[in-house]
Amino acid sequence: MNLVYPLAHLMGGVILLCAFSMLSQRRLAAMITLYQVQAFTLSAAAFWQGFAQGAGDLYLTGLITLVIKAILLPMGMRQIVQRFNMVRAVETTMPIGLSMILGVGLIGIAVLVVLPTTVNAVSLTREDLAISLSVVLLGLLVMTLRRHAIAQVIGFLSTENGLVLAATGMPGMPFVAELSVALLVLLAFLVVGVFLFRIREHFDTLDLVGIEEIERRGR
Amino acid sequence: MNFCLPAVFLPLLAAPVVGSLGTRAQGAMANLGLNVIVFGFTVAVFFAPGGGLIHADGLGMIFGVLTSFVSTTTALSNLGFVRDGNEVLSPRRWRVYHAMCQVVLGSTLLGLYADNIGLLWVAVEGATIAATLGVSLPRTASALEAAWKYFILGGVGIALALFGTMLVYLAAQPALGPGLQAMSFVALSLHAARLDGSLLTLAFVFLLFGYGTKAALVPLHGWLPDAYAEGPIPLTTALSTLMLNVALIAILRYRHLMQANFANGGGALQPGVFLLTLGLASLLLTGFSLARRRDARRFFGFSSVEHSGVAVFAFGIGGAAAIFGGLLHMLVHTLVKSALFQALMRGAALRGSAAPGNYGFSHLRGMIHSNKYVGWLLGACVFALTGLPPSGLFASEFIIISQTIQRDPYVSLPLGLGLVLCAVAIIRNIGPLVFGHAPPHTRHQKAGIGVNLVGVQLALAFAVAFAMPWFLLHALSSVAAGLQ
Repeated sequence: MNLVYPLAHLMGGVILLCAFSMLSQRRLAAMITLYQVQAFTLSAAAFWQGFAQGAGDLYLTGLITLVIKAILLPMGMRQIVQRFNMVRAVETTMPIGLSMILGVGLIGIAVLVVLPTTVNAVSLTREDLAISLSVVLLGLLVMTLRRHAIAQVIGFLSTENGLVLAATGMPGMPFVAELSVALLVLLAFLVVGVFLFRIREHFDTLDLVGIEEIERRGR
Repeated sequence: MNFCLPAVFLPLLAAPVVGSLGTRAQGAMANLGLNVIVFGFTVAVFFAPGGGLIHADGLGMIFGVLTSFVSTTTALSNLGFVRDGNEVLSPRRWRVYHAMCQVVLGSTLLGLYADNIGLLWVAVEGATIAATLGVSLPRTASALEAAWKYFILGGVGIALALFGTMLVYLAAQPALGPGLQAMSFVALSLHAARLDGSLLTLAFVFLLFGYGTKAALVPLHGWLPDAYAEGPIPLTTALSTLMLNVALIAILRYRHLMQANFANGGGALQPGVFLLTLGLASLLLTGFSLARRRDARRFFGFSSVEHSGVAVFAFGIGGAAAIFGGLLHMLVHTLVKSALFQALMRGAALRGSAAPGNYGFSHLRGMIHSNKYVGWLLGACVFALTGLPPSGLFASEFIIISQTIQRDPYVSLPLGLGLVLCAVAIIRNIGPLVFGHAPPHTRHQKAGIGVNLVGVQLALAFAVAFAMPWFLLHALSSVAAGLQ
């Protein structure tokens, strides 16, 4: 029996589920765990696609994802959470239920947009693309709904996972994109790390209310 | 011989060295030296454009030279900025600052020369990261907030652009086969009609919003005024001119793919509507919000939003002449804007310090009482931004408006309204800024020889618009004809 489709879809589904559950979580530790599960699944998906397509590049993508995104990044974020004692719940800008309804709506939009436009593409690519677009949109939604710097970063990383998922599903895509995505995450985290510590120096919390100060002071 | 490679990789490779060695004065000198060398390479590109992944087409050549020229003049005025110690930074941060200047230059050139949609994306991403670091360097609370905002919004834009890039590959892959061919602009535009039209449309929406964030089109412009106002001002010049150009050129290239696909019945939507909407939104919003700005760098940041909107509007109108107008607009605006920011820097330095926070209009007013020459130059730069004759922008806006009336008469009304609103808002500031009562204790001071650079750039902007050399005219019109 051909396992390529069912397994790829299963992993895509798990990644989507993780992205969706992030909407419902108020605690940073839980969000980080969800992100970690998502990244693990993503690396498994990349390995699987590499095996199925016979593309050696994808193994490298999977390895990078596994080491950096699934192991190093969550460790770093947990450290930050502990050091700054941010274990309590994070403020959200919208009730959880409402944000989940919005999330369902976004998934619906992603499916409705992608499936009709890709009638000619390979079926695996179509559904992978729909799932990854949903993950991207959900990540963006998390970023807009959380007022907390780390929560926003997690949303951003989830978005990146969606992008890598899309890239692994592209038949024969040259390695340029995947390598750069992996690099981006590393670089982005460096930048973010620098930021978090500097923001910490200037404000007592990592809440981004300070940005409103700029707005008020008349640009 | 492919001179694009050294032009791109020299600054990128030099960045770690600049970033780890030397005092701030040495860093500034190294920065200038590298810029001059890169300028030489970008001129040499005209004679040896090369081929393959990184090579220069007509558009890349013209804007490559412009990029390195503006970058060199900025590096020259950066010498004074560093010498006067306007910005209080530790030696380590001065090194990072100069390294970031190099990274921005190198990635901008990579974005212009890359014949690969993935490489273009990498270039924009690298430039964004470097610019974010640069903006955060003063480490004031507001600089950090501005950098954070820039990083988050820029990151979202980059993510969307990558998704769009992958969709373009997916649209091209059945026609061009898997591999690098399906990511090359040359191959893509050669076979534009055979791309999957509906996928291309979907991709274009993502690309427009992704690169539109970098080009600061309304409603994606939120990061721009803060990032302009809070970083070291030479970096602002690079942001406002070079990086906007790369994003606009990316949008132009993808628009061409869409248009070619649409015209040949490939099933894509016509891209004009999207571009016209975003362009008009940028223009009109700027027209209304310019009047309320009190900080000069935020004010001129919004004016960049306006001009980026005008360029996108011109691309939306389509046709060789309108695209020629849009490209001319970008060329002239780059020269004028970099002249303006350099004049502003001189002016603020005359008033004590060129660090962020010293650019309030109330602080800078009556510049002529500090130094006549700087005052007049500043006035001339601001006037040039309005687009009234004899400003170079008049020529490009004239072309764009006449093309709009010919091709799409209904949108010419809002276009005219937006242009007039912006011009009025800008012109209102000239009087107080140049001739108004200076703040108390203002003394007349010498400006230094470097201020002549501002005049040179203004003169160049005028010459490009009204007395364009034949070779540039030829190159620009063939580029516009190729991308219509």
